[in-house]
Amino acid sequence: MNNWSVPPLIALFLFPGGLFLFLWGLFYEWVDRKLVARLQNRVGPRWYQPLADLVKLLAKEEIVPEGSDPTLFYLLPVLALACAMTSALYLPMAGFMPAYSFRGDLIVALYLLSMLTIGLGVAGANTPNRFSLIGATRTLTQLFSYEAPFLLALLGPAIVAGSWRISEINFYTQQQPLWIMVTQPIGFLVALVGLMGKLELPPFDAPEAETEIVAGALTEYSGRGYALFRLGKNVELVIALTLVATFYLGGLANPLQFLVKTLGLLVFLAVLQTLFARLRIDQTVGLWWRIGALLAIAQLLILFVINLV
Amino acid sequence: MEQSLRSPWQEILEKVRVWARVNSPWAIHYNSGSCNGCDIEIVATLTPRYDLERFGVKLEGSPRHADVLICTGPVTRQSRDRLLRIYHQMPEPKFVVAVGSCGLSGGVFHGLYNIAGGIDEVLPVDVFIPGCPPRPEAIIYGLVQLLEGLRGREPSPEVKKMLQKTAKEERQ
Repeated sequence: MNNWSVPPLIALFLFPGGLFLFLWGLFYEWVDRKLVARLQNRVGPRWYQPLADLVKLLAKEEIVPEGSDPTLFYLLPVLALACAMTSALYLPMAGFMPAYSFRGDLIVALYLLSMLTIGLGVAGANTPNRFSLIGATRTLTQLFSYEAPFLLALLGPAIVAGSWRISEINFYTQQQPLWIMVTQPIGFLVALVGLMGKLELPPFDAPEAETEIVAGALTEYSGRGYALFRLGKNVELVIALTLVATFYLGGLANPLQFLVKTLGLLVFLAVLQTLFARLRIDQTVGLWWRIGALLAIAQLLILFVINLV
Repeated sequence: MEQSLRSPWQEILEKVRVWARVNSPWAIHYNSGSCNGCDIEIVATLTPRYDLERFGVKLEGSPRHADVLICTGPVTRQSRDRLLRIYHQMPEPKFVVAVGSCGLSGGVFHGLYNIAGGIDEVLPVDVFIPGCPPRPEAIIYGLVQLLEGLRGREPSPEVKKMLQKTAKEERQ
């Protein structure tokens, strides 16, 4: 059972909050890149590659482009990373009790995760570069398209568990004989594809499509700012995987389950990444609102009907 | 004297920085007027067969993210300003690799009215990779030489031998 809790200072700086998230995020970035490389018949990066990238970017010169607001330019990466890391405090990271928990923290955690994407969008719009402007538009458009279906898909387990508190949903999913993935397959599908949209992984990587718009919203970022945004994305990867594993893969009771379930999800995501080609931004929006949202609502309706009967 | 005044802490930091720099050279690729032969070889170097990602090399779209400017072809007068602009957009520390005979000296285009010369006429070049076009192995070798140089090591024995040989030929 899941009885361990963490003292506040350690929670902020070491275990679910600070250092653990950094290292785990870098580790998962490596797993993701290595898996994609192996699936493409390549050797792939070495295990310390994300760390080397991060340190190198931190040591590089940071150029503030002319015409952008310097305060925002410096502040946004910090804000994005801080928001992504704060949302980890409400999640059962590594199978431990969440460091903080209150009624409705599911919504807070999701909004904190969205702050990272909004930070990206504002950062892109802050610079006068045309590529980053298009990237920012695409990032925010994609945010508005995947956010609603993803939230609806996560509401399914919450409604079944009768609580919007992540720790209670975690307890509930652990006690179920069947994983919610089996009892709510449509919701799981939407959540999984929503995860890929949230992380801007290949079928949904139009916001940073380097063959069209250089590097999207982050085109003008160099050095420290870019490093922090990359780190924020890695943290988001860990958090989003934990969220979906908690809700749909039978909860996280201990570190071993955390490792197996999130890594399993990551392997699945890596396969999907290599399988699909990039969607255009209008196709992404169409997919989400025409199919994703409808599927998620259908799943919720089925749940209501079953509850009534 | 400034070198000796550094504290051990700074030395360790510098070592970490160099380690990171050597292990994660992100490249940007610019064709300043080449016939596309070298560019095809560079793209071949990045394909799964040679897979430069195992050394941490990543092709970046934005000059702001890149460390190494991989440049092919002679610099035409048209593309000179663009090449310089890309170079100035890259954040420090930055390195330039000239690929192919034309990049070295202008190649078959040497002395043409619309050519500004090799890449070293315009930019400070760190590594020259000769060949028309150089094979992917040669490009990887050149890149490894650049990274060894960053690490502060001497060039490999083969390169030393080659350098001595060319120096001898020049004397004769």
